[in-house]
Amino acid sequence: MDKLFIARGVSRTSLKNFIMWIIPWILILIVGVYAVFLCLYEGLNQTNMDNRFAFGLWIYLDLTVIALGAGAFFTGFLLYILKRKELKAVINSAVVIGFICYSGAVGVLMVDVGQPLRAWFTFWHPNVHSMLTEVTFCITCYLGVLAIEYIPIILKNRRIKQISSMLVFEHELHKLVVVLAAVGTFLSFFHQGSLGGLYGVLVGRPFAFRPALGIWPTTFFLFILSAAAVGPCFILLTTTLVSKISRKQLVKPEVLQLLGKISGNLLIVYILLKTIDTIIWINSTSPSLGFTAASFYKYSGFGTWIMFAEIVLCGLIPALMLQNKKLRARTSWLVVAALMACIGIVLNRFVMTIQTLALPTLPFDQFMSYVPSWQEVATFMAVLAYGMLVYSISYRYLTLFPQERELQSM
Amino acid sequence: MVIDLDRCNGCGNCSLACAVENNISPAPKKANDRTGITWMRVYKVENDLPFPENRAVYLPLTCQQCDHHTPCESVCPQKAVEYDTESGIVAQIPVRCLGCRYCMTACPYHARYFNWWDPEWPKGMETTLNPDVSTRMRGVVEKCNFCHGRLQAARAKAAVEGRREITDAEYVPACAEACPTKAIHFGNLADTNSEFSKLAKDHNSFRLLEPLGTEPKVYFHSKQSWVHNKINAKIAAVKEEVHG
Amino acid sequence: MFPWIYGFTWTPGNIIFLGIFFSVVAIIGATVLLSFRRALHSIKTNSMESIRWESEFHDLPIAARTCRHEFTGEFKRRTCDNGFDCRSCVTHGNLMKNKATNSDLIEHPIHAFGFTIPIDRLYHRGHTWVKSNATGTYTIGLDDFASRLVGTPEGIELPKPGTRLQVNGSAWSFKKGHTDVRILAPLDGEVVAASDGSEGWYLKVRPLTPSVDTKHLLRDQEIVPWFLREFERLQMKLADPKIGLTLADGGTPVQDFPKAYPDKNWDGIFGEMFLEA
Repeated sequence: MDKLFIARGVSRTSLKNFIMWIIPWILILIVGVYAVFLCLYEGLNQTNMDNRFAFGLWIYLDLTVIALGAGAFFTGFLLYILKRKELKAVINSAVVIGFICYSGAVGVLMVDVGQPLRAWFTFWHPNVHSMLTEVTFCITCYLGVLAIEYIPIILKNRRIKQISSMLVFEHELHKLVVVLAAVGTFLSFFHQGSLGGLYGVLVGRPFAFRPALGIWPTTFFLFILSAAAVGPCFILLTTTLVSKISRKQLVKPEVLQLLGKISGNLLIVYILLKTIDTIIWINSTSPSLGFTAASFYKYSGFGTWIMFAEIVLCGLIPALMLQNKKLRARTSWLVVAALMACIGIVLNRFVMTIQTLALPTLPFDQFMSYVPSWQEVATFMAVLAYGMLVYSISYRYLTLFPQERELQSM
Repeated sequence: MVIDLDRCNGCGNCSLACAVENNISPAPKKANDRTGITWMRVYKVENDLPFPENRAVYLPLTCQQCDHHTPCESVCPQKAVEYDTESGIVAQIPVRCLGCRYCMTACPYHARYFNWWDPEWPKGMETTLNPDVSTRMRGVVEKCNFCHGRLQAARAKAAVEGRREITDAEYVPACAEACPTKAIHFGNLADTNSEFSKLAKDHNSFRLLEPLGTEPKVYFHSKQSWVHNKINAKIAAVKEEVHG
Repeated sequence: MFPWIYGFTWTPGNIIFLGIFFSVVAIIGATVLLSFRRALHSIKTNSMESIRWESEFHDLPIAARTCRHEFTGEFKRRTCDNGFDCRSCVTHGNLMKNKATNSDLIEHPIHAFGFTIPIDRLYHRGHTWVKSNATGTYTIGLDDFASRLVGTPEGIELPKPGTRLQVNGSAWSFKKGHTDVRILAPLDGEVVAASDGSEGWYLKVRPLTPSVDTKHLLRDQEIVPWFLREFERLQMKLADPKIGLTLADGGTPVQDFPKAYPDKNWDGIFGEMFLEA
């Protein structure tokens, strides 16, 4: 029925099947929207956050999806600035995923703050010394850039491009995509870093505090590096997932291997720098604030295994795995390594947000625990559902994988 | 502010007086000790020894009014925290606060509180509200401001009388005023000759989390050495070095 | 944010931060506005069709973009990078300088691979043919390959007389089964008459300029090799991917390919053969 909206030369499932696929996501979205309504109408008491856990599940997941969505800017940088033409095969998918991640994060942030209608105050009275100001400005601009990069993909839909003016506008926009990619890279560099800087500047939380390089704490640079490293991994994972669900080969294997190789190289550098940073923190930074590093890990469930898991198990090991050419040639191993790398970053963001807040700072205080409420979980499930819906519709009606047509006929 | 830990008996009157003075609403039914608002909060600190060596002190904790490198001021994205260089008070601007709670994660003293609910007073109780202090709305952060309203009132009164300076007696926060054991001393730290300043600089006085470099204006005084061992970070640091 | 807002101070931090922010916003805004302006300009100067073709051509698979000089063996392998517009191609110009023009007009059509291929006309890469008339108009028709490919269409949308056509723009379109395809215009001109193909032609076109440039159209020795290539391409698309290309066992191609092979992806095949991405 909707065949004329679907690109030529590719096959998509029947409209009925497609609707069956999106109905569960719509239901999850509805539940999530209700949770959001509760939080906005009743207040943030609907969550399990409190004065000790001022940041909870939402901020943690925001940081995680923004790190994973870094694939959008990094692939754009590799393709349009460094001219790695093979990545043309995944750039459209990366842009859509990036758009989903950032718009979802901004949506959740609007629910997370106590007074969403005052969001524009940050722009009106910016405090340039605050990392959060930098985050706000950069993410807003970058969301705009992503939307502008998404538009040409939509305009190239089979039916829409028959309207000549749409195709002409898309053509002109595409000519300037290098500018957008450069601006996107610049903005991403800063906001990925500032997200790390958010915690690195907290002198009141010696677990997270790091010394400054210039005006930014080391976490600024570590977050940029880790986001750039894990972005290609996430693209790899999503591409193979979509391939599996649609039972089609969507990209040539060399593309995935290239993503894995770039990721692996960046991960190695990141792990090296993170190790140096951690050693300095253990021996110098933390004691200078009156806390030994060991004192942070004496609470049950949050022992040093977390640090080991983050840096070695899900950091060094996938980095080494991705260095191996033979391993990269096997898609299943690529996926395993990419998954481990992503888990490492998820752990890193967890440590920086949740573990930091759980730890006591005053000597007469305790280690706190926090379990998110159903409204918080539902809100995030809504973001996931929103992402699935946007991506599914984009995959069906837009060309997310230019190599698909070629590969289908093989 | 200097708080004498040897005198505080944990009665909590300071907390109550603070709530009355600053229009803090009664906590809703679902609030607990982590979601309620207590600008002044009394903690119990024990020496963790078995009877008969067990000892405890009560530690009233407010915003420590850190010096110009306040952790909370530098992190607020929209300048809703203002450091007043003249009085040294860290002021919160509730009407500008977005409720992002970044300042709350930054504060090592956990002195900042968020309005998780709309403040509500039972019918009839609104007559007890202090007209000199504005109420806050749901979704913003608030904290102790050393009864800034009283400072303004004292200055206004002095101005009317043609004076520029106010005496210590004219400006006393609600907690200091309410304390039955006079454990809370309040005065002008800048006046280095006063008794108050001398008490603050006493060798038995210390500030919380000094190595962090926050330079708070609240001092704690105790003659009991176990108190220093437990919560005076400088002593603890020395001990770490000695014992390794 | 702005200097006149209460609380603003001219600190270096403020200046640098806000300076960068406003620059970024300006760059993004300028990019979008510039694209918009250029698009409007293109629309006004009527170059929409050529831009559309440029974009379409870019999205075609490489196998569909072979240079005509590969058919005649002048190049072993060459992909067109000019949208099949040999009128503006430097390489084509150079190659044609050294070629003698063939003055022998072969009257009879060639029969090859089961197709009827008249040689007395010019062919466009989009499978239309062009023949000049005594009255100064040109007749445009669909070649035998394309006719069999489309078979009996469910519908046809023809341009009204008076419509201006542009080379590589849209001439007319067919509706077949679940799919549709537009046929590329081989000439610049104004439509004088349109027919549904029952009389062997589709359009009669009057050129806009007295002299018509037909350099981009295939002729003479190019035609048959090109037909062979196209037939091969079609067979590759129809072949079972597991088995691959098999030897043809002779016999004439059917009159209506989609009818004969109903379960093939005709949507995709039409796109490839009629150069619609």
